Amino acid sequence: MRPIRIALTKGRLETDSIQLFERLGYDCSAVLNKGRRLILPISDGVRQMEVVLAKAADVVTYVENGVCDIGVVGKDTIMEMGGTFYEVADLGFGRCRFALAVPKGKDFYSGYHTRRIASKYVNVTRSVFEAKNMDVNIVKIEGSVELAPILGLSDAIVDIVQTGLTLRENGLEVAEDLADISARLIVNIASLKLRKNEIDPFITQIETILKEEEPT
Amino acid sequence: MKRFDKVTPEGTRDLLFEECASRQRLTGRLTELYRARGYRQIITPGVEFYDVFTLPSSGFPQDSMYKLSDNRGRLMVLRPDCTIPIARLAATRLAGMAKPLRIYYAQNVYRMEQGLRGRLSEIWQAGVELMGDCSLRSDLEMVELAASSLAGLGPGSRIELCHIGYFRAVINSLEADADTKEEIRQCVEQKNYAALGNLLDRFPGDPAAAALRKLPRLFGGEEVFEAAAALFGENGAGESLRYLRDIYEALCRLGLADQILIDLGLVNQAEYYTGIVFRGYLDGVGEPVLSGGRYDNLLRDFGEPCPAIGFAVELDPVAAVAEHLPSPPPDALVFADEKHLPQAIQCIKELTAQGKVVENCLLDQLDQAIAYGKQRGIPLLYVAGDQNAPLSLNEEGGGNR
Repeated sequence: MRPIRIALTKGRLETDSIQLFERLGYDCSAVLNKGRRLILPISDGVRQMEVVLAKAADVVTYVENGVCDIGVVGKDTIMEMGGTFYEVADLGFGRCRFALAVPKGKDFYSGYHTRRIASKYVNVTRSVFEAKNMDVNIVKIEGSVELAPILGLSDAIVDIVQTGLTLRENGLEVAEDLADISARLIVNIASLKLRKNEIDPFITQIETILKEEEPT
Repeated sequence: MKRFDKVTPEGTRDLLFEECASRQRLTGRLTELYRARGYRQIITPGVEFYDVFTLPSSGFPQDSMYKLSDNRGRLMVLRPDCTIPIARLAATRLAGMAKPLRIYYAQNVYRMEQGLRGRLSEIWQAGVELMGDCSLRSDLEMVELAASSLAGLGPGSRIELCHIGYFRAVINSLEADADTKEEIRQCVEQKNYAALGNLLDRFPGDPAAAALRKLPRLFGGEEVFEAAAALFGENGAGESLRYLRDIYEALCRLGLADQILIDLGLVNQAEYYTGIVFRGYLDGVGEPVLSGGRYDNLLRDFGEPCPAIGFAVELDPVAAVAEHLPSPPPDALVFADEKHLPQAIQCIKELTAQGKVVENCLLDQLDQAIAYGKQRGIPLLYVAGDQNAPLSLNEEGGGNR
């Protein structure tokens, strides 16, 4: 049987995940010096695992289809994509939040015209306003969403906010915090059941170390 | 105008030759098993009224159904599920029939999937329903039949068992509103330990909350029973556990101990199922291939209360990892010149009556027929109207008698 395969979201979550795995005692040198390889072995001397690096949305797809057993991906991607898998741990890093932002000083909820909202996260936006029983007109923007209200395309945006600096610099402000985001550990449904002996201890290990490191 | 005349709709596909054979072979294994256990086949319409799938205990999300309307403007759907139509049938045409009813089926269901995720919208299922009994006997029969179904399909099969009564007892003991309970159920279903913990922080000191916190982790082998019993036993939880354990032990005595898993967090359709719930897995398939359980309330929605249990197997993911056996060429080719066309058909009928697979040659010339037969890998060539033995087209034979 092939080793347990973990899909990591490339970029910052990858770096944070590797640091976490190293604290758990895994030798991650293959990932740090990856060269052109796409599947990278890591090991803690007992357990061998394989790391695959992928874009956030692909992590979900790989885990959902069972070609990877475990994934590390942001809650933002999970909320946007949905899907069937187990979300077993909040890894605590990659923290930010979904927020509704409007041009500074504007009351988003005044008046009764149908709002136009720009976002890269159309499904998240849709469910936010469905929950408010509000009809809105959603426009998908791929790049810098902050531009949309500045250019007059939309009344507001739904986007990921970390410090709020980009918003302020563009004359926007948070009108409402919508959801907290952080990196999550997700597991394929069949894998968790069929390979419990390998995956369960790994999850417990992660939880234990996260609890120990938790600032009190 | 863009025409979509050369592709199949998203989520559907053409099945060719070996793929058909694989599906048929796997389906045949299951249907033979079901027939041997006294189940009888039914086929329900591919198109049903929308209302059939929007009953209180079995409501199907409307955005997952393919809808169309009939010539009187009534809303119809492509059947998204096999059990509900069978319940409709059992509560109407079969209502007067002596129970229990043992029914099996092998047919497509249609579910509109979010596109581009590698999932099919047309899903081939085989399954069984046992209606009119709610005893341990029928539960055991069904779970064992599920295990036998998977054992016949591939290596490394596992059946996972749950009793929804345990979860229900715990969640009903929690002082919370319906929305919170639904949020909790979702967290348990997704094994979202973190979010579940946050939700349950609102109920400090509540034993039900403490049990719910551990519930998603209550999966594994026999040890789960002890852990679950220690965690929560009131409000019917203890009874549900003991019942599940009885089934588990019976299965162990059938030698299935290492194929049975317990997961008390299997709460996907908590409203629909009323007793045991189970799922099945096969090595190398990244999703459950079998799912089922007891649904004693469904027939009541059709006005004819009747307990029932059943399961369905999705065969395409199994076929995808099974070996496709290459389909062999025909046993013989029959050639005729234009004076012997009826004799050619006669010859084919005689050969097929002997159990041979025979192809009619559509070419005019014998040498063309020989070349064609060799290219197709057909070993024998019969010439219609010629009483001699057939030509051997094998390499060494080279068209000789």
